[in-house]
Amino acid sequence: MNQINDFKIKSKRYTGGWSSFLQEWMILILFVVMVTIFALTSPTFRTTNNIMNVLRQASFIAIIAMGEFFVILTGQMDMSISSIIGMVSIFFAGFAVSMGLPVWIAVVLALLMAVVVGLVNGLLVVYGKMPSFIGTLVTMNVIKGIYFIYSGGLPISGLPESFNFLGAGYVGLVPFPVILMLIIAVILSIIAQHTSFGRSIYAVGGNIEAAKLSGINVKFVGIFVFIICAVLTGIGALGLTARTLSGNVMLGENLLFDVMTIVVLGGTSLSGGRGRIVGVVIGALFLQVISNMMILVGISTYWQWVVKGAILVAVVLIDANTKRE
Amino acid sequence: MESRKQKGPLVEIKHCTMEFPGVRALDDVSFTLLPGECHGLVGENGAGKSTLAKCIIGENRMTSGELIIDGDPINLHTYSIRESQKRGIAIVHQEFQLMREMSGLENIFIGHYEKVGPFIDWKTLRKRAAEVLEFLQCDVNLQIPVKMLRTADQQIVQLAKAVINESKVLILDELTAVLQEKDIENIFRIINILKQRGMGIIYISHRLDEVLDACDTYTVLCDGKHIHSGFVKDIDKPKLIKMIIGRELKQVYMPINQKFGEMLLEVKGLSGPDAFQDINLKVRRGEVVGIAGLLGAYKTELVHAIFGNHRITKGKVYINGKEVNIKNPRQAIKHGIGLVPDERRSLGLNMLFDIKDNTTLPSMAFFKKWKVFQDHKAEAIAAYDHNQRMDLSYYSLWQNVKKLSGGNQQKIVIAKWMLRNSDIFLMDEPTRGIDVGAKFEIYKLINDLTQQGKAVVLVSPELEELIGLCNRVYIMFEGEIMDVVEGERKTQEIIINSLLGINTHESN
Repeated sequence: MNQINDFKIKSKRYTGGWSSFLQEWMILILFVVMVTIFALTSPTFRTTNNIMNVLRQASFIAIIAMGEFFVILTGQMDMSISSIIGMVSIFFAGFAVSMGLPVWIAVVLALLMAVVVGLVNGLLVVYGKMPSFIGTLVTMNVIKGIYFIYSGGLPISGLPESFNFLGAGYVGLVPFPVILMLIIAVILSIIAQHTSFGRSIYAVGGNIEAAKLSGINVKFVGIFVFIICAVLTGIGALGLTARTLSGNVMLGENLLFDVMTIVVLGGTSLSGGRGRIVGVVIGALFLQVISNMMILVGISTYWQWVVKGAILVAVVLIDANTKRE
Repeated sequence: MESRKQKGPLVEIKHCTMEFPGVRALDDVSFTLLPGECHGLVGENGAGKSTLAKCIIGENRMTSGELIIDGDPINLHTYSIRESQKRGIAIVHQEFQLMREMSGLENIFIGHYEKVGPFIDWKTLRKRAAEVLEFLQCDVNLQIPVKMLRTADQQIVQLAKAVINESKVLILDELTAVLQEKDIENIFRIINILKQRGMGIIYISHRLDEVLDACDTYTVLCDGKHIHSGFVKDIDKPKLIKMIIGRELKQVYMPINQKFGEMLLEVKGLSGPDAFQDINLKVRRGEVVGIAGLLGAYKTELVHAIFGNHRITKGKVYINGKEVNIKNPRQAIKHGIGLVPDERRSLGLNMLFDIKDNTTLPSMAFFKKWKVFQDHKAEAIAAYDHNQRMDLSYYSLWQNVKKLSGGNQQKIVIAKWMLRNSDIFLMDEPTRGIDVGAKFEIYKLINDLTQQGKAVVLVSPELEELIGLCNRVYIMFEGEIMDVVEGERKTQEIIINSLLGINTHESN
């Protein structure tokens, strides 16, 4: 009896008081405060139309960021995502329009290409023992070369109208991309927290040597996170392509920075081992709301870059100076 | 630099006490070092030799006592490594403090560059370095990165650095543990040169023969207490050994289990690249088998090789009588082996994980819901159960392991393998850096494991521990097994001799 009570006490999740609660959910609290202020001060911001627009725009970036999240969770980094976006977009359009294949086959083929890129990244890092920064930088440039050779840099338009649903469709009031993003987030969250594979990713990121000595297949985990990243990036790229109904190699330009910002905003540790999917989703919404507000008040794109950079610096500084134990 | 002929002591320590939380590492120790003297500091592992050295260089702060350096009483509250360096105290460890990628020349002068305007005056530096090497009568290439030098030459670079900095006191901490005979003689020669210059040398070593050869005076420490100081010429080796061991083994060890089961682990002719050679090892159920050896004996490499984490060039491993080919830790774990590594913080635990996740990490496959999802509840119950059995003190299973004490962290590493139901426990220095109370609990745990018919392979630098816990001790020297002792032959003296590479069959 005594033992049962003792177990109840010791298995209770320890919150560590207010300070650790605040630290854990700081980004969410900031997000809520920010949205409240914007909603109160800007009538344009609080229209249903605008809110849904923000959510829709955040969705595909969030999906891509969730992929990068897993790589960063192992303490690595995937620089090639901007090229994967361009590659998937142009080759998908190429398969579906130029070659006239059915859309679903084009989707499968484009995603398979992403799998191959992810596999190459993983092999370079795990077996080639390359720093991931360098390894994925190489694939980034190689892919860039390949899709420019293929397309000459020109977009391929003329995708079937029905495909537009993926990027711009609505289910009731809610945009379809938002639903897709939520479904993916829930699945990935369950994988991360409630499967042994997910726990292995955290274990590898926290201490790869200890993980190896505990019997975790660290090589498999190390490679597989790059494949997950490439596939999710591929899905995001298809969504972005669907919005304009044309394959475009420039689609991924400048997205790497946003994705990194989102992952870090979401509380993911750049040295690996710490972070949550829900944080990434909040991070994506956070960044999109700020971009949206800046557009509404008429701040130029260039100034937006400056602001986003300042945000990333602020978050990293706060993270580095508060999580010291 | 004129030679010092003054009579005052270079270092004087009076009634030094040094306490770590829960342990008294030094207890009322007094120590004097005169100029031109080589003073041997001897004692078992954990006797307090290195702690005393660290007090002198300011890395550890004495809890109470007086420290007088070259006649100046030192303010203990502000004393630091910086100040000790300024006062001319240098230490050379076997763990190097050299910048591996930089040349010997840069290493010698780092932080003390002579300059012409804003530029480093390499010409003068080269000349000065050459003078020092000539003074030490050594020939070392100072132009190439030090990582390309032999171990012995790297140590010469460190000694040269101490001379250039005009050190008055030089502490040599287990410098010779990884050196060969010829290089050791060279170090002795250098010690003599430095002594004539008036330098005081504190010589810490396990090798008593060296202390008898090289030192003028000695101090014996045992369990942090000062046992005796005197002149080396008044003493011989047996007397010294008696002083070091000093007392009966304390009754902290339970009777060793003598109920053995079948042969569990057998290693035949195992060799690794540039490491251990031709190792034969047998472990039965219910046995504790010890592996003794100094640094450079490749004990850690051997247990890692059995665990599939170190390359093997030849040899065979049998588990339960069947030959197995273990290529990685995953396969080793499947065969019922668990490793408790020597570095528990960097190899044993994930410092970002909580107690529950660390405990269940190797056993995740046992706790599945619908074959896919982790059953966190069942994991928590199992982790609770095992940690409770170990008397782990904690308040929540979801508590981060980072802030636990060393002893408690080590219990979690062991609980990992108990939960995984491993049969063979490879323990690499399981009591390193943990306090006495926790040590005894680990001893008890090892005993419990053998009662349950598990087998333990115990690597330890502490002979007392090996003698008190093991049925049989294998003694390694430079990668080879020198001797196997059990029963009557399991004594400190025989083990020490084999550790040093002296074959006991001949000398006894």
